[in-house]
Amino acid sequence: MGFDTILQILIQGLNMGLIYALAALGISLIWNATGLFNFAQGDLLTMGGFVMLSMFAKWSLPYPLAFLLTVVVMGLVGYLLSQGFFYPMFSQGVHPDIIIIGTISLIVLLQNGILLTWGPHPQRFSTPLGDSPVHFGKIIVMPYYLWNIAIAVVLVIALQMFFKKSIVGIAMRAVAQRPVAASLMGVRTNQLVALTFLLATGLAAVAGILIAPIIPLTPEMGSIVALKAFAAVLIGGLGSFAGALLGGVIIGVAEVVFATVVVPTYKDVFIFLILIAFLLFRPRGIFSSEISEKV
Amino acid sequence: MARLAFLKRIGATQVIFLILLLIPLSGIPSYQFYILERGLQNVLVVLSLVILLGFTGQLSLGQAGLVAVGAYSYGILCVNFGVSPWIGLVVAPLITGLVSLALGFPSFKLTGPFLVVNTIAFSEIVRILILNNEKITGGPFGLNSIPTIATGLPLYYFMLVIAYLAAVGTLRLGRSHIGLAFKAIREDEIAAESMGVHVRNFKLLAFVISSVLAGISGVFFANMAGYLNPDSFTFNESSTYLLMVVLGGMSNVAGSILSSFAVTSLPEALRFMARSRMVVYAIILLVMVRYSKVLEIENFKRLFRRLRPIPTAPGSPAADHAKGKP
Repeated sequence: MGFDTILQILIQGLNMGLIYALAALGISLIWNATGLFNFAQGDLLTMGGFVMLSMFAKWSLPYPLAFLLTVVVMGLVGYLLSQGFFYPMFSQGVHPDIIIIGTISLIVLLQNGILLTWGPHPQRFSTPLGDSPVHFGKIIVMPYYLWNIAIAVVLVIALQMFFKKSIVGIAMRAVAQRPVAASLMGVRTNQLVALTFLLATGLAAVAGILIAPIIPLTPEMGSIVALKAFAAVLIGGLGSFAGALLGGVIIGVAEVVFATVVVPTYKDVFIFLILIAFLLFRPRGIFSSEISEKV
Repeated sequence: MARLAFLKRIGATQVIFLILLLIPLSGIPSYQFYILERGLQNVLVVLSLVILLGFTGQLSLGQAGLVAVGAYSYGILCVNFGVSPWIGLVVAPLITGLVSLALGFPSFKLTGPFLVVNTIAFSEIVRILILNNEKITGGPFGLNSIPTIATGLPLYYFMLVIAYLAAVGTLRLGRSHIGLAFKAIREDEIAAESMGVHVRNFKLLAFVISSVLAGISGVFFANMAGYLNPDSFTFNESSTYLLMVVLGGMSNVAGSILSSFAVTSLPEALRFMARSRMVVYAIILLVMVRYSKVLEIENFKRLFRRLRPIPTAPGSPAADHAKGKP
């Protein structure tokens, strides 16, 4: 296997990895703000992809406008979910397991809603760069890989700036670290939880937009993508920004390498075995953020 | 009052099973009978989750994987090896119990969402293995012409007897010292450990008991359908089982049995809406989860207590409000 093949695999893996990382970041953000694992993240991703499909491929809006509108629409969906469904349950002190089950019934709703609206057939759309492969010397790359990587990298840098510099980002980190102290300092927790859901759903939507050129969208694709995003979060370290990013990239590269080198049918099994191994031997992941537990 | 006391002694579970015993005798149409059978098959999975989630507090989304293991071990034993269905009936749940050790072992240390992810991963691995080992399992084409123990009414009554035994067993398990150990683990693992409960062994025991029940359910599934396909054991099935047990009140056996019939028949009852029925079903589920605090069985009991003329002690126990994180 030559150097160019390895580079090609790496680009492909990085591409999938960044998509998983975006979904994983959303899971990580919600976990930080509320202590909830949002199992519906994968289906919010699918829905984002399908909304983009309607706007870009069906109504033929220009790509940047469709992209922006999709993220706004999905962010609004996340905001409404938080205000109407999740936050009231948190404030009533509903058992966390029940809220997890709430996210699972949300999966049933989203998958069937998508099936009803967009139909069962796999559908895809491309990026403005088109579908003809690009040659760099011996390396052949699909243009949407480069496009995806560029968007994901810009987004990750912007998010990092947001959390480090902006007052809202700092307040979000404060809520994640000490919720009671943060609310005593005048941070409005319910607004921030809603904002976190908005951000996480927007990230899922971006991931859905980016995944569509590679994997055609189907209503039930969310489950498997979500599971890989969870794997990314848990491998990287739950609640850590860098962890979600690194975990996503590890999962993406491992998946593509396994599929090319060993056998493509069992690539998901391989990923899940890595996940189980991590849960067994290093349950806090690579970048373990502070998860305080009793004793 | 005397009549009510009599009812109390036989218990809600017995009443439910008595009704289930009588329903098919009234000669219901075959489609409704099929739903009844499916409900009964789901009762076994729901009982397995009552033990695992209700008693021990281990949230699992891998139940469909275990049902698949049970169903496919029965199918493979009977079709590929020509084993008698009765032996398959006994051996398949035991195989499921053994396989569940593979699930239980990584799950010792895990709680909450970590455990859920682990069980989903297990279930997906099972599904992918079934899908890709075509020679043994039939892969995406499924496993055909599986010999059955019985069909129609005899099968129904056989399932009813097994389900009844499982329900009574679960009730008794809940009251036994093992059940108390399970509940101690649910309430506080560390406190349980310090009181001399071997947490690891009891968790593993809960996993094995619950997976044997799921395996029996899988065998019944194979018997009812006579055909197995990996699509019958997806994440959606696992989440449906979980919803059944939650709506039934987690550790309440009679409630879980009722809710397993209710949730099984809900999509069928909504069939007149054709394509949008699953969306409506999901919305009903969401509303029920959203107001689960209100729908809890304890609240109804409190309501009944309040309706009684006897005055309760002043200052009723305050609801444990505002306890969780924001």
